[in-house]
Parts: sequence; C-alpha cells; structure tokens
Amino acid sequence: MKSQKTESAINTYLRETGGWVASQLEACTRCGICAEACHFYQALGNPEYAPVWKLEPLRRAYEQRFTPGGKLKLALGLEKRLSDSDLERWSRIVFEACTVCNKCAHVCPMGIELGPLIHEVRAGLTAAGVVPTDLAEATEKQKTIGSPLGVTDEMWRERVDWITDEWEVEIPVDKTGAETLVVFTSIELMKFPDNLAAVAKILNRAGENWTVSSKGREVVNFGYFEADEGLTRLFMHRVFRAAEELAVKRIVISECGHAYDAFRWNAPNIMKVPKGVEIVHISEYIHHLWKTGRIKIKDGAFEAGTITFHDSCKIQRRGGIIKQPRELLQALAGKNFKEMTPNREQALCCGGGGGVISIKEADANRYAVFEMKVEQLREIEAQAVCMVCSNCRLQFVDSLGHFNLPVKVHGLAELVSRSLI
Amino acid sequence: MNWTEILSFSRGPLLHISMIIFVVGMSYRLVRVVLLGWERDRASNKGSKLKGVVINYLKGLIILPFIPWVGRTFRRNELTFIAGGLFHLSLFVVLAFGTAHILVWKSLFGLSWKPLPTPVVSFFSSVGIISLIILLVNRLTHPVLKLLTRLPVWINWVVVFLPMITGFIMARHLWFKYEVIFSLHLISVSLLLIWIPLGRISHFLFYFFSRTIHGAQAGKRAIMP
Repeated sequence: MKSQKTESAINTYLRETGGWVASQLEACTRCGICAEACHFYQALGNPEYAPVWKLEPLRRAYEQRFTPGGKLKLALGLEKRLSDSDLERWSRIVFEACTVCNKCAHVCPMGIELGPLIHEVRAGLTAAGVVPTDLAEATEKQKTIGSPLGVTDEMWRERVDWITDEWEVEIPVDKTGAETLVVFTSIELMKFPDNLAAVAKILNRAGENWTVSSKGREVVNFGYFEADEGLTRLFMHRVFRAAEELAVKRIVISECGHAYDAFRWNAPNIMKVPKGVEIVHISEYIHHLWKTGRIKIKDGAFEAGTITFHDSCKIQRRGGIIKQPRELLQALAGKNFKEMTPNREQALCCGGGGGVISIKEADANRYAVFEMKVEQLREIEAQAVCMVCSNCRLQFVDSLGHFNLPVKVHGLAELVSRSLI
Repeated sequence: MNWTEILSFSRGPLLHISMIIFVVGMSYRLVRVVLLGWERDRASNKGSKLKGVVINYLKGLIILPFIPWVGRTFRRNELTFIAGGLFHLSLFVVLAFGTAHILVWKSLFGLSWKPLPTPVVSFFSSVGIISLIILLVNRLTHPVLKLLTRLPVWINWVVVFLPMITGFIMARHLWFKYEVIFSLHLISVSLLLIWIPLGRISHFLFYFFSRTIHGAQAGKRAIMP
C-alpha cells in the first residue's frame, strides 16, 4: 500500500519528468565519478552522499513508470516502490548533505546536470511534507512574516533607519521614479549591515537613481531551497510586484546565490516576469559602475595581507559572474590577491548553501565540509577572504569561529566602498 | 546440432533477430524519452549556447577521458577516468578498424574503409579487456560503486566482456575450433544486442542528450562547461 505521502512525492516526480529530466537520468552509467566531486562525500566518506545516489527517488519513480527495464526490475522484485521510510532517508541526504552546488555536473563524463535534478528530488520530498523542521519553519516565517529570519515590516524599517544613522548613508525607501530596485537579504540586514551600508554608499557615489522597497524587501527564497514551486513563485512575486509598482528598469539582487539563480534563470520559466526589467547581481553591477567610470577605486587600497576570493556556487559556477569580482579584487589588492585551488567553475562550495546552514542537524556535515575550505585557505596562507554571497559569508563567519581561525571575511561591496575615491 | 549448424544459426537468424530487437528497443526508448516533452528555457542567455556545446563535446571526447587530473576536481578518480577512457577508445578502434568488423559494416551499410594493421588492433583489444577487468575490480571494491551496483550492472559487464574475450581468442586462433569460437562470439554479441535496450549500455545514445544539455546550460550562463 502506498501512503498518501509517497503518492504525492511520486506524482511530483512524474509530473516534473519531461524529456529534459528523463534523457539525463537515462544517460547515467552509474560510474560513481560524481562522488569524488561532492564535498559532502569527500569530507564525510558516506557513500550515500554520492550525487547519483541522491537522485534515487526520482530515478526509481521515473523508471518504474516509464521504462521497460524499470518495470521488469519491479516485477522481478529487484527493486521496490518508494516508501515513506525511503522519503525520510533521502530527506536527510538531499537536504542535509547537499548544497545543490552542481559541481558534480562538471565532473560527470556524461555531463548530467545533477544539481537541477537533485532540486527535483527535493521538490518531491517537499510535496510529501518530508522537509527538515528548521527549514520548514524558516520557510513558514518567510511566507507569513515576509522573512525567513522573522524580520517584520516594523523591524525592517527600524533596521534600515538604524543603518542610515549608524553609517551616515542615505537609503531611499519606496522612491517612485527610481531606476534601480535593490533587494537585500535579511542576513545582510541583521548580520552584515556593513554590507548593506556599503552597497548604499557605492550606489550613491555613482549617482544611481535607486531605491529599496518595503514590500519587496526580501530577496532570499526559502521556497527555492525546498523546491516548492508555489512558494518560490510567491516570494519572487512580492519583489516583482514591488518592481512594477515602482516602475523600475532593473532589479539588483544583493548578496544571495540562490536568489540570483531563482530570479535570473528560474523565474521566466515558472511565472510572469515584468517586461523589460533587467535582473543583475550586485557584484556585476558594481563592476559595471566601475568599468563605466561612475565610481573610482583606489588601486592597491587593500593592504591587510593575502586575500583570496571564494566562488559561490550559484553566482559563479551557475551564474557566470566569474571575472568581474576578480578584476575588482585584482585592482584592490594587486599582488596580495591569490587564488585558491580549485577555483572558478570547479571551486569548492562553502558547505552552507542550499538551505543547509539553516538546518541544525546538518551542522556537523557543514563543519566537516568547511575543513576542506580551511585547507584551501591554509595552502595559500590567506589572511582574508572575499565573497559575494551572504549565505557563504554566514557559513564562513560561523565556521571560522567554530575552528577558531583568524581569517577575516569580507563582502566585495564592503571592500569596494572602503576604497572609493 | 553440431557446431557448423550452431554457427549458421547464430550468424543467421539469431543475429538478425537480436539486431531487430536492438533497433526496435532503442528506437522505443528514444521515442519514449523524446515524447515526454521539452519545455523551452525562457531565461535570456548570458553567453553563447552553441559555444558551450562545442567546448563541452571537445572536452568530453578529448580531454576528460585521458587527462583526469585537469584541475583538482578529478583527483582520486584517475583510475575510473583512464580505464574508462581507454576502454571506450579500444572499443572504437577494434569495432571501426578491425578487418573482420569492417566486413560486417560493409555487409550492413555497403561502406568500407582501410583497416588498421592487425598488431595495432590486437594491442587495443588487449587494452580494452584489461581496462574492463580493472573497472570490474574497482566496482567490487569502491564503496560508492558497491552501493550503486545491482544485478543489471553486473549483467552489463558480462555481456560486454563476453564478445570482447571471445573475439580476442578468435582473432588469435587460440584453443577452440573456428566454428566453436565464432559461434560463441556471435551468440555473445546477440546477447549484448538484446540486453542493450534494457540496461544502461544504452548510454551511448543518451550521452548526446546530456552532453548537449550541459554544454548549452554552461554556454547560456557564460561559464566553462
């Protein structure tokens, strides 16, 4: 007997299985090479963390319904139908030991896009309601309060006012006629206000006609972490509606990888997006302002030792914003800027993305993965590290504290704003 | 039934039926997947999809199988990469440039070309067999592969190994009478052809889907595939 839960998961898998999913599932040769690309497998050695194994629920649902081989295996008893206990088991694997960083896709000899497929696996588990409690709670907060950290409208206002006073920087709120809407994360608002102030300072200096919105005030998308399409849409809709009301020309996504992925690549495929509104990430926008001469930075302004750049999975590997932050860092730090290995598309993920950092049970996994990052930092004797994703930054700050390491963590905007001339 | 009769059965009806099963089975799988529907990706491109696809095929066909340590991403995978790459290369050389196989292609498609010298082909057939054995040992010992490997994967290995080993023995005129080993070779090839539509050896077809998808995605996002 299939339970209602399992039924919902299977139905989601079958609904999501178009040629795109099916052809890639069919291409897998079960060679296991993806395992060695996965930071969770590398750090913890659990074979169940191999990316290909994370696809099992989706593969089984697909094969048992659509392929003769799958039906034969089912008939001969070589494989079972999905059950509730399978869902529980895979929930721990795909939510607590995967950041959906998609590095595995780059080593797969077949080129299978494992990341997006694991996203589909999450979708089925979410439909069945088998989501880690912490993640579900944060998602619920974003749905009801408007922010996964529980920032209410009033708190948001107060915080923006406080940053305005504290950093003496003007932050236009709900300004009609603005060209650019900047949407921040609550992580920046609450934990890295310096970054928010830095972005404001840079935009003001560039003479940008910009604003933040009290209605579209959260760029993070916990619906996207859960792979709940309805919620993903709802959370992006809040921002799009604000953009339409303010009639802006572009939405600048602040330092959040998943949000950039959702807005830039996913939104046009799952919902109506405002026409003619450009989606850009703050790091590429700052680079653009610099290249077009609207801001000037002091070359070599960063003098506090060796600094490196951490590539975020959704902004660099999946977003293509690879050379822009590097050019800025090169200008800011000159010879002090050193690359970790591997980097760029093959970079090692921080271990906190994809919602992992919000799940308490995943803390041990997260720290184990971060040890590999520490090793990378040590190899080049980095004294500081810069990144353009506040989720990565949260993981870095928390984990460096956990291991008691004296490496400084910087946001790119913060470094740029300090070097403005 | 004596071996002469077995040979004429296996090079005649058996091989024909298995070829039909192969073609029909693979067509079914291809059509089934294609008919599941394809949604257009509406997100605007950052880079060129075509460029991504071209680079991805070049990397996939030339660099990946032979230079596993491109970047540190591939460390700890050298064995699978090299043995896997050599296995596929050997298979290609033997199937495309062995004298006997060229005759098969000629009878099937009417086209023929110059074979490679026998020592070269024998060298590659040995390399192919050795690689396959190495991959088997790896599969028996690697924790992830142990988890992933179920009965169908073992069948894959066996049905690929048998034609290779019988072909190798036949080409060297070892131990068996010609009718016997040729029959065994053809029977094992038939077995392989019948099995392919059911198992994952069919990846040779879906490879072109996944590689194209990956290349296009990378190109679209302006990253190196």
